[in-house]
Amino acid sequence: MKQRTLWPAVLVVGLTLSAGCGSAAGPGSSSGGSGDKLVVWDWKSGDAKGAGYVAKAKADFAKKHPGVNVEFVAQPFDQYYTLLGTAIQSGKGPDVIMFNGGGKIRDRADALAPLDEYVAQDRQRLAGWDAFAKDGKIYAEPVTLQGHPIYYNKDLYQKAGLDPAGPPKTFDEFVKNCGVITAKTGAKCLALGNKEGIGIQFWLSALGSAVLTPREYDDWIAGKRDWSSANVKKVFELWKQAGDSGLNSDGANSTAMFNDAFGIFNSGKAANVIGLMSDVGHWKDFAEFLTPEKVGVMVAPAVTPGALPSLPYDGGIGYAVAKWTKDPKLAADLVRSLTSSDALKSFYADSGAIASDTTIDVSAGGPAVKTIVSELKSGKPALHVALPSKTVDLMGRLSQELLSGSTTVDDVVRQLAASDKTG
Amino acid sequence: MTAQSLSPARPAPAGPAGGARPAGPSRRNRAGSRAERLAPLVLLAPALLIIVGLRLWPLVLGVNFSFTGDGDRNGMMVGFENYATLFGDPLFRTALRNVGLLVLLLPVAVAIPGLLATFIYLRVPGHRLYRGVYFFPAVLSPVIVGAIFNLLLAFDGPLNKLLGGLGIGPVDWLGDPSVAIFAVVGVHVWATFGMALVVFLAGFATLDSSLLDAAEVDGASLPQTIRHVIVPSLTRTIQFVFVTTMIGMLTSMFGLLYVMTTGGPAGSTYLPEYYIWIQQGQLNQPALASAASTALFLIMLVVGLAQIGILRRSAGKED
Repeated sequence: MKQRTLWPAVLVVGLTLSAGCGSAAGPGSSSGGSGDKLVVWDWKSGDAKGAGYVAKAKADFAKKHPGVNVEFVAQPFDQYYTLLGTAIQSGKGPDVIMFNGGGKIRDRADALAPLDEYVAQDRQRLAGWDAFAKDGKIYAEPVTLQGHPIYYNKDLYQKAGLDPAGPPKTFDEFVKNCGVITAKTGAKCLALGNKEGIGIQFWLSALGSAVLTPREYDDWIAGKRDWSSANVKKVFELWKQAGDSGLNSDGANSTAMFNDAFGIFNSGKAANVIGLMSDVGHWKDFAEFLTPEKVGVMVAPAVTPGALPSLPYDGGIGYAVAKWTKDPKLAADLVRSLTSSDALKSFYADSGAIASDTTIDVSAGGPAVKTIVSELKSGKPALHVALPSKTVDLMGRLSQELLSGSTTVDDVVRQLAASDKTG
Repeated sequence: MTAQSLSPARPAPAGPAGGARPAGPSRRNRAGSRAERLAPLVLLAPALLIIVGLRLWPLVLGVNFSFTGDGDRNGMMVGFENYATLFGDPLFRTALRNVGLLVLLLPVAVAIPGLLATFIYLRVPGHRLYRGVYFFPAVLSPVIVGAIFNLLLAFDGPLNKLLGGLGIGPVDWLGDPSVAIFAVVGVHVWATFGMALVVFLAGFATLDSSLLDAAEVDGASLPQTIRHVIVPSLTRTIQFVFVTTMIGMLTSMFGLLYVMTTGGPAGSTYLPEYYIWIQQGQLNQPALASAASTALFLIMLVVGLAQIGILRRSAGKED
């Protein structure tokens, strides 16, 4: 009697518990780490544009390590760092992890293995290492370069009677040209999306080198940031002025940078946009509506005398190796395959991203990409990438307040200085 | 004998091996009653284990985690430091203020479905159509609703065009810090009031129609009918809708916020759950996010208990 009641109950408990465990542990296939299998997390491999790149990288790795199985798990980018945070907390997860350069990887460097000893051979060939380094150690190998060129619509410049081949050299000239373009064509000066607070990041980095002196710029990157300096304040004053004087496209605070702001530029409703070099919002992304010869790239128009305008860029995305992986050397070899010349060439050709391998031939890509690549030599790291994520987040919100007129530049600079110190 | 008395819970070997026949029936009785005593526990065990193992234990872990540090101090106990940071953060205070605003807006969110349900109950022309139309948004996911209203409320969108046609200047619905939260709450109410409407209609089904007829015969106007007949008869339904609408507002606005404003502009549409997500996922401060979660949990606990209290009191009154 008792047995009859007890055993089914035990069975039910057992089944329920094991079912519970199964769902709590998550999809087992995505957390690998066994000796002959490597799991890669990224947000590119699921993309049609990334398929050729992944295939090339896999082939390269298979040649070196024929017995090792590589599994790519494409995560949605929206949730990527949330999922990754959970994996890091539990101390297990993918062996090779895609990262954005800058704060995203530095904040999580504790969970990564330093790669210096494995990637020495690639140091010369690739650019953008600094964005993946912390305290002098390299944590990821760069795949793309990410930066903020100022793109302009040559068609609109021509229609307004301006020289499309000779973009403005000074900020005053830039504003004056915009006035002409708006009067003649009805197009706004700048396509701006600041819904997520990203617009200010692009603004700070794109115009920073035209405002700060070279000395101030280098100090900023090195971590010695003087928020009270007149030039730093100037960057935010210009941001506010551009908003107040109607240079920006309408409703910037409710326009998403990705991809509504780029849509405004694409459709010829604004003459200029501070864009990207990789992923989205770059020359090839515009090509659906604006053919490559109609898109130009200008060097930041000079604001203060003594500033040396340059292209701001850093390592864009890269692959890192998790601390918990069984064989870091093997994982590092996969990272090296993912940054081999062949794979990167395929990445550039399919997606239009500026690859970290600057030896790739881009002559067929149109004037914008040629200008960008030629500017890489004199380029410097972007100002906003050097900031802690917390300060960047705060800056986004404060920039929205500046546009809506509910705060002052002095207050913004003061708050950012305080956040930068504690962050 | 000692072995037997030590293991009375094993009746199968005990029967034949014991040999003490006279003791048999009483032992079986004892075992039977024991089985009866154990059966409820065994049957409850799965549910209890799931609640304790997958709900309460993680909750305790989460609260415990909120007393540890982030980044370099990962795993170190830091006492109430996270909570101090939390309440010193103007962004979290904005999020709490917005919770307060939601509570204040609650009567509006309840009145709208209540009024519409009244009209349907009073059979305004086309009430069958409206019943379906009002419920329709409730089946849409917040992401879709958000995307639709992003287009409608865009600066150069149809609503502003319409206002422009009436000579009213464009409003940046989602880009003006003083307007955006109302726009998002408005959309949330639009998207979810269908459920409340259905509850109200169910309440109306229990309404005594002779009361309405009497009011009509006495020459009561519509506002008078609503105030003196409908509202008193529907007290319990209205309370229930208050509770469910409040819970809905506090816990399921994330999708809309994420799609429509991403917490902006200037952080003016932050709610605690959005704050938690940003701290954990974007700024990599899981312990601080845990502290915020614990704070949100406590708020919900207080709100929930208060509402249960109100419901119980009203139920008691009816008895």
